[in-house]
Amino acid sequence: MIELPPAPSWDGLHPLIVHFPVALLLVAPVLVLLALVVRGHRRGLLLAALALMVLGTAASWVAVSTGEAAGKLADRSPEVNAVLEHHEELAETTRLVFTVLTAVFAALVLAPVVLKREPGEVATIGVAVLFLAVYGAGTLVLANTAHNGGRLVHELGVRALMPPAPLPAAEAEKD
Amino acid sequence: MKTTSFVRSLPAFALAGAAALVLALPAPAAAPPAASTLDNLQAAYDGESNASAKYAAFAKKADEEGYGQVASLFRAAARAEQIHAANHAAVIKKLGGVPKNDVKAPEVKTTKENLQAAIAGESYERDKMYPEFLAKAKKDTNRDAIETFNFAKAAEAEHAKLYSESLAKLDSLKGTKAVTYYVCTVCGFTTTKLDFQKCPVCFNPKDKYTKVG
Repeated sequence: MIELPPAPSWDGLHPLIVHFPVALLLVAPVLVLLALVVRGHRRGLLLAALALMVLGTAASWVAVSTGEAAGKLADRSPEVNAVLEHHEELAETTRLVFTVLTAVFAALVLAPVVLKREPGEVATIGVAVLFLAVYGAGTLVLANTAHNGGRLVHELGVRALMPPAPLPAAEAEKD
Repeated sequence: MKTTSFVRSLPAFALAGAAALVLALPAPAAAPPAASTLDNLQAAYDGESNASAKYAAFAKKADEEGYGQVASLFRAAARAEQIHAANHAAVIKKLGGVPKNDVKAPEVKTTKENLQAAIAGESYERDKMYPEFLAKAKKDTNRDAIETFNFAKAAEAEHAKLYSESLAKLDSLKGTKAVTYYVCTVCGFTTTKLDFQKCPVCFNPKDKYTKVG
């Protein structure tokens, strides 16, 4: 029988939510690149990229907040402290960088609509390439944040506190 | 005939006797019930309250012996232990208990011996007491208890490190004056410099730190 999993607490949400900024913010620039190539669908692709950036950035805010709550409950050791502190600093930088990048991208995508004036092809490509270069630097911060989070879990064994749930019937029978 | 019947009954008598003996013997002592998270919080509250009083007394002794810097460290640690005690007390109240402590008169020796005693106490809390309390609190999924134990464990680890550093160079600390330590008023983490924006243990802004000298 399909059952709903138990609702996680705020700190327990961290392992779930962290994947959203990673996936959404890394896919968004691919759509920007596609928009430069597929001219016929440029507006739609740029809007889709913007939607991903907005969702990814929003998820990064939730990830930082749930991460702080989870960090307070994490098993500590000097190694964990060092990686956790670095992870936390990088996460805050990621949140700031992508908040600024998303705001800039929103302005770039929506300005022609508001001003009712399309920029020329050269200007569009030039601005997009410049934006993607800066965005690429941001993705390095994001990747480092994710890497340090991965180290905490897979190398140092830091676990989030999950809500207690009954064992599946097959497992319970084994016990 | 009667003798044969008696002999035949012997095994039954033996069994009955053995059963009576087993019943008459005192039952083996039952294992003490595992301490609950509330019991652990009470023990931690008592321990932190005593540690705070002890370090305040050690600070006074260090001042008398001319170890101003060590006295500052003891005062900072005493403040941190007060914060831990208050945190533990808050969780005890949340669980419906009443915080209880029995603060005993501390045994004050020389500053060197006091530092050694402090290192032993902090190491015990870091390596045995709090890890066990944390394991139980996790089993109970008691987030408040996990948080307060975690905060205390991280601070005790730092105290042990700071005490060990002081002990290692104690001779050079003779004649030193008071120095400033910073103690997080949320988690009790103790440090000599605020070279971070957020507390590394509880993630609160560094303006939550108080100066102790």
